[in-house]
Amino acid sequence: MPTLRDATLESPAPVRAVANAVSQWIDRLGAVWVEGQIAQVNRRPGVGTVFMTLRDPIADISMTLTCQRTLFDSLNPPLVEGASVVVHARPSFYANRGSFSLYARDIRMVGLGELLARIERRRQLLAAEGLFAPELKRDLPFLPARVGLVTAPGSAAERDVLDNARRRWAAVEFTVAYAAMQGPRSASEVIEALEKLDADPGVDVIVVARGGGSVEDLLPFSDEALLRAVHRARTPVVSAIGHEQDSPLLDLAADVRASTPTDAAKLLVPDMAEELAGVTWARDRVRSVVTRIVDREQERLDQLRSRPVMADPRTLLAARSDELGQLLERARRTLGHRLDRAADDIGHQRARARALSPLAILQRGYAVLQDADGHVVTSVAGIAAGTDVSVRVADGRVLARTTGVDADTSNDHSRTEGTDDE
Amino acid sequence: MSDSPTPDQDTPTYEAAREELVEVVRTLEAGGTTLEESLALWERGERLAQVCQAWLDGARERLDAVIEGDGS
Repeated sequence: MPTLRDATLESPAPVRAVANAVSQWIDRLGAVWVEGQIAQVNRRPGVGTVFMTLRDPIADISMTLTCQRTLFDSLNPPLVEGASVVVHARPSFYANRGSFSLYARDIRMVGLGELLARIERRRQLLAAEGLFAPELKRDLPFLPARVGLVTAPGSAAERDVLDNARRRWAAVEFTVAYAAMQGPRSASEVIEALEKLDADPGVDVIVVARGGGSVEDLLPFSDEALLRAVHRARTPVVSAIGHEQDSPLLDLAADVRASTPTDAAKLLVPDMAEELAGVTWARDRVRSVVTRIVDREQERLDQLRSRPVMADPRTLLAARSDELGQLLERARRTLGHRLDRAADDIGHQRARARALSPLAILQRGYAVLQDADGHVVTSVAGIAAGTDVSVRVADGRVLARTTGVDADTSNDHSRTEGTDDE
Repeated sequence: MSDSPTPDQDTPTYEAAREELVEVVRTLEAGGTTLEESLALWERGERLAQVCQAWLDGARERLDAVIEGDGS
């Protein structure tokens, strides 16, 4: 076999030579177990070979898959579009038309168990990578300016989200990006829709909503590429796939998981009626608290002002004036006593004075002899006849001149003059 | 009653005025103050009471205004 390398412009190699060489190269590859998703199935009666397209589960790459019709028919459950399969195939080159395909010698359906196991492995892988880390979760805006919705056109999910959201808050605005929510194209379409909404600055939350379905139906929502797209998204994402019990990996990657599209509506927008009621309630409570405070303070002030010392200051003065009255009373009383005593005392003194005063004696007939100088004469000594004397009698004085003196002989007279006349 | 007092320096706050009023009443009731002091204290008490009442009236006016304001 001349190697093709010798072919030159002058002696080119024939097509068959090239085809054979390529065929030989490819045959050397041998068989391999390949995982993929059946995209199209082309089975024509009377043709021994069935032609299919095998799509890569993640990348947008597919190859032609061929197999014997008998093998195809023997598969149970039968092979349908969208089924995930694992095939044992040999890359082969069909020289006549230069077409390349994978020739499948064994096709294994990826059963539900296998499917779930595969999803579980993917979950662990992505979880280890940190795609589902709780700290990445972002809060939803309380009042979204615009909600991005990725769903199937005219689906129940679309209606649920839109109606419920609008009933809670009529002014909510939506941008709906339609995407296939089932089948092989679903994952990539949802990614495309998601990225379009994420790019829109007006949209501040995105919800991916789909009704219930089988594990296969929901498979696209565990698709790795979709999960990475959600991870990259800057806008918070809400996953609202299937019913309560359905939980595709999207639930873990999204910022918030809603159990159903209706539940998503509740998470997306607040119930305005409820919020208003809350606001009114709070305002009324504040008012009643303040009113109570003012009332209580008013009461305390009234109580203070009603105290006698404040309400009726006269009580203060009254106390004082009573006191004054009493003092005055006492003062007068004591004064009165003193005066009385003084009066008695005076009376007493006067009596005594009177008693001692010579007037009474004179009235009783005695007279007092005084010499010219007014000295009282108590003895005859020194008095000669013819001296001028005055005699004090009760009612006046008698002027006289002495004619002689007559001295007593006994000495008891001097004694009697010394005693008081009590 | 006058409206809420203009918040110049010497107008005491409500709490200060009320506190002093309590003190005045206590002193007067305890007695032992001279007549002149009692009178002065009593007048002070009246003044303080007016200040407190003015604060409360002001508060109530503002509260009623808000409540009537939105008719609730």
